[in-house]
Amino acid sequence: MKNFLFIGFALALLGTEARTAEATVAQKAKIWWAFQPLKQLPEPGSTEPSSIDTLLDEKIAVARLEKSPLADRRTWLRRATFDLSGLPPTPDEVRALLEDDSPEAFARVVDRLLASPSYGQRWARHWLDVVRYADYHDADPKARTASCEPLEVWRYRDWVVDSLNQDLPFDDFVVLQIAGDLLTNSTGETNNPSLIATAFLLNGTWDRGDADKEKMVSDMVDDQIDTVGKAFLGLTLGCARCHDHKFDPISNLDYYALAGIFYSTHILENLGTKGGEITLKRVPLVPRSVAALRDGLALQLEAIKAKLATLEKLSPRIATDHPERRMLEADRDALQAELPPPYPSALTVQEGGMPGGLFPNIQDVPVHIRGSYTRLGSVVPRRMPTFFAGESQPPITQGSGRRELAAWIASKTNPLTARVIVNRVWQWHFGEGLVRTPNNFGLTSEPPSHPVLLDWLAAHLIEDGWSLKKLHRRIMVSAAYRRSSGGPRNQAARDPENRWLARFSARRLDAEAFRDAMLFVCGKLDGAHGGPAGADIRSNRRSLYVQTARWDRSNFATLFDAANPDASVEKRLISIVAPQALFMINHDFVQTQASHFARRLLREAGDDEAARVDWAYQRLFGRPAQREEIQVAHQLLAQSGGPETESAWRDVAHVLLCSNEFIYVD
Amino acid sequence: MRDSHWIPHRCSRREWLSRSGAGFGLMALADLLAAESPATDAGATDRPTPPNALRPPHHPARAKRVIFLYMPGGPSHVDLFDPKPRLTQDNGKPFPLEKPKLERTKTGNLLASPWKFSQHGQSGTPVSELLPRTAGCIDDICVIRSMVADNINHTGAALQMCTGEQAFSRPSMGSWLTYGLGTETQNLPGFVVISPAAVFQGAQLWASSFLPSTYQGTLIRDLNQPIANLHDPSANLGRQRIKLDALRQLNHLHKRDRVIDSELDARISSFELAFRMQQEAPEAFDLSRESNATHRLYGTDQPATELFGRQCLLARRLAERGVRFIQLFDAPKNNVWDHHSGLREELPKRCAAVDQPIAALLIDLKSRGLLEDTLVLWGGEFGRTPTAEGTNGREHHPFGFTMWMAGGGIRGGQVHGATDEFGWYATEEIVHVHDLHATILHLMGLDHTRLTYRFAGRDYRLTDVYGNVVHHILA
Repeated sequence: MKNFLFIGFALALLGTEARTAEATVAQKAKIWWAFQPLKQLPEPGSTEPSSIDTLLDEKIAVARLEKSPLADRRTWLRRATFDLSGLPPTPDEVRALLEDDSPEAFARVVDRLLASPSYGQRWARHWLDVVRYADYHDADPKARTASCEPLEVWRYRDWVVDSLNQDLPFDDFVVLQIAGDLLTNSTGETNNPSLIATAFLLNGTWDRGDADKEKMVSDMVDDQIDTVGKAFLGLTLGCARCHDHKFDPISNLDYYALAGIFYSTHILENLGTKGGEITLKRVPLVPRSVAALRDGLALQLEAIKAKLATLEKLSPRIATDHPERRMLEADRDALQAELPPPYPSALTVQEGGMPGGLFPNIQDVPVHIRGSYTRLGSVVPRRMPTFFAGESQPPITQGSGRRELAAWIASKTNPLTARVIVNRVWQWHFGEGLVRTPNNFGLTSEPPSHPVLLDWLAAHLIEDGWSLKKLHRRIMVSAAYRRSSGGPRNQAARDPENRWLARFSARRLDAEAFRDAMLFVCGKLDGAHGGPAGADIRSNRRSLYVQTARWDRSNFATLFDAANPDASVEKRLISIVAPQALFMINHDFVQTQASHFARRLLREAGDDEAARVDWAYQRLFGRPAQREEIQVAHQLLAQSGGPETESAWRDVAHVLLCSNEFIYVD
Repeated sequence: MRDSHWIPHRCSRREWLSRSGAGFGLMALADLLAAESPATDAGATDRPTPPNALRPPHHPARAKRVIFLYMPGGPSHVDLFDPKPRLTQDNGKPFPLEKPKLERTKTGNLLASPWKFSQHGQSGTPVSELLPRTAGCIDDICVIRSMVADNINHTGAALQMCTGEQAFSRPSMGSWLTYGLGTETQNLPGFVVISPAAVFQGAQLWASSFLPSTYQGTLIRDLNQPIANLHDPSANLGRQRIKLDALRQLNHLHKRDRVIDSELDARISSFELAFRMQQEAPEAFDLSRESNATHRLYGTDQPATELFGRQCLLARRLAERGVRFIQLFDAPKNNVWDHHSGLREELPKRCAAVDQPIAALLIDLKSRGLLEDTLVLWGGEFGRTPTAEGTNGREHHPFGFTMWMAGGGIRGGQVHGATDEFGWYATEEIVHVHDLHATILHLMGLDHTRLTYRFAGRDYRLTDVYGNVVHHILA
């Protein structure tokens, strides 16, 4: 104890210790690459290197690496098709590319893929990882409590799909998710899609509520700050909840300045009783008058039913033909006939503090000392973090401040937003980002391998009106994206992690693409769009529409490393474990697909054994079968009952679905 | 493309180090060792060794595995392990001290325990009459009466007990341990959770969170069908072997162009391991291989003790076979230890269901020499109020409650810490959940401040920035 006192005393004497550390963060931050303004695009006619390939080639030369040759067209097509649609190419698509010798052949494929609705279904999943999306808390539909389950959140997922398919400019995509409810059209109304987009803010890990409701509310605010910071800015803002950020220029005051914005916004109808369940905020997606009409009728109906119930409890019991009872019953039946069907509603946020909470209004909030609402410090005006947005910011006078926050994030001058999304898109194409910590561009992150390229892409994104589709196109027609994943042996040793991209990095399919690909090659995939998620992986719908439930970590997607929806996921890890193999060998989903494939093969692939095997390879791997492979299949057929039996072909199909080539993309 | 000097390039750093003989100096060796030590793992996706391969501890371990007997809902400390004469004396009187700010609901006056305590064993540790068999093992047990937790609700408190954090997703204790140490068996999962019914925080309690998913707990709900997809519904193993041989050949042909790819190799081996698991795992889970005497010991022959008895017996079989972390939830249904009401009827039922199986587990482990290096831990997310909820219940109580530990590295026959004379606040030798976690890791040979994982720009630990090893309870 004495020692501690002494140390404390010494620190107090020194006094400067803490301040020096602070100064260091600020000093470092001032020169930190990610916080500098974007480098502008070179003037036309400039000799500065200015394309993905020239910028990569510079570094490849410095590292004295030899570039891999371009991948063959089949390999590129399989890569590009999985990348943009989450599905393999069909044999017809392969043929079309092989026969197209125009210089535009590759660009045409990219455009075709970007125009397909599968593109949005594929890329929405990437974004859903980042925003900790889950369809439900409870995997069991019967166990769900309607008030606190995010039953309508699928509308947000569908909005993401649609936004991507329509190439909604990314800055608008940001603004709508943070403040969509505050944007009105020319007639002063809010569009439904804008309302739905704000479900971004409420799809967090809280479940039925907590006895300590104030702590729960502060955790909700923290989740919102954390997710906004990581998803859009690549900043770990949440780290400043209890104290100044240890590594980044984000103070505890900055945190509560932002927290005020979210405390001035509510996502719950009410807190519920102590220890009881919360009720999520829902708004009708029909005009207010329509909703009010139905709500009014429903209330009347309730009241009549209640009166009837009271009458029926009377003792002695009243006769069934009692006039009062007859009248009430008639009213009830009339109302019931008149009552319109339930109207659709959406989960959204609303302006104003949490009713019944510590901060029930639109208001600034005090610092929570060490993160706890039980010890409050001085009140901090709502504003953006000062290091990034300056000391003198216009005060937030109208509304929560989400509008201002959204505008600040989605601004062309914010140094982080464009860099962060460009880096994510790069990662989803190449497996690794130019910055390998996509949720963290702060001082503890790894600097970009290609800073000039990152800025070049970001500047182009802005110049292209924040169009993600143009960004995909730019990346996918580059030589870098077309390179083979093989290469000279000594090159791998020189760049084992492939930082310099002298070659392409082959990759395992993620859970969703893997399942969808199985359904697709067996001719069973139901490409239907949207709606609530279902529970059963045996369905033929795309994996995007198979439910993610927060409390269920024993499903197919989790087994194959899908994102854990409890927090923002920047990158999926890859695990290779025996339970995955057990699934492949024994689960009836896979066995059923193998049967479908065998039947399809027997129907469509003719009678010749080798031709049948080749047919299978074309569909599964986008290439012809080799002689040795046909031989392996021949042996298997012979041992499994002979090529004339369907079950032998089912075994062949099963083996091919299990193969490394099916789940890896070169 | 098939030239021998053309290779695919998804090789890991370690592969590169181990294959490039030239320049493999001390620096590289140091790097290599660093890459294999989880304590300095930087969250690489390309793990250098199979994820469950054995890894050396930081210091010599006292225990090799943990069995966590989890009583969901929060067992009442003042009725089981922490006798309070003052409660009996002041039964029905108001609680005279200041209650904490954070209360779930207002509870009433002090409620004496309806059950008698008596001293047991050479240590003379008092145990409630509800747990006669556990009392018989008391000299192997260290009762910690001064536990404190931070959350008053099941979700937050159970999360804290299992992951160290109340509100946000973090890796669970079992995940940290399998990540840190690997497992001694490659034919069974390293972290097994046995919970017959759903507990309502669900998989978050055994989640790997940001650790690779291979470290998450494998949930066994149905004891008759313990591991998913273990049986081929349509074919026999012979036919499956034929298919797997063909698969291996095709995978080797595919790999020919990609000769040094660790992931492709790992996936090839995963099918072979899966095949072996189908043969060996059923044996591990097959309780019918146990003698009648063993079944009687665990009470699997009696309706009251059958379910938890089977869970405990299975835990012993898994412990014998090298599973690192086994967490049993007493869960015929959800939250059965949550005695807001019906305390006098329900608590004896729960105790009757678990007392004999738990004692059997301790006795059985001991007789097989396994207790020496198996750490057994008992408790729930909190205790219960010494004051009454209604007339026959107790509320949630994280301010002072009891857990116990036995086995590997624990000094049995002692009581550690104390609550005040009413059993409300922990007052002496307080053990926070973080301290408990630090101590468990310590016993397993891991320094809780060094077992870290880098995620989103910072190093995470099971104990966050807290935790002190409770040296006093160690043997």
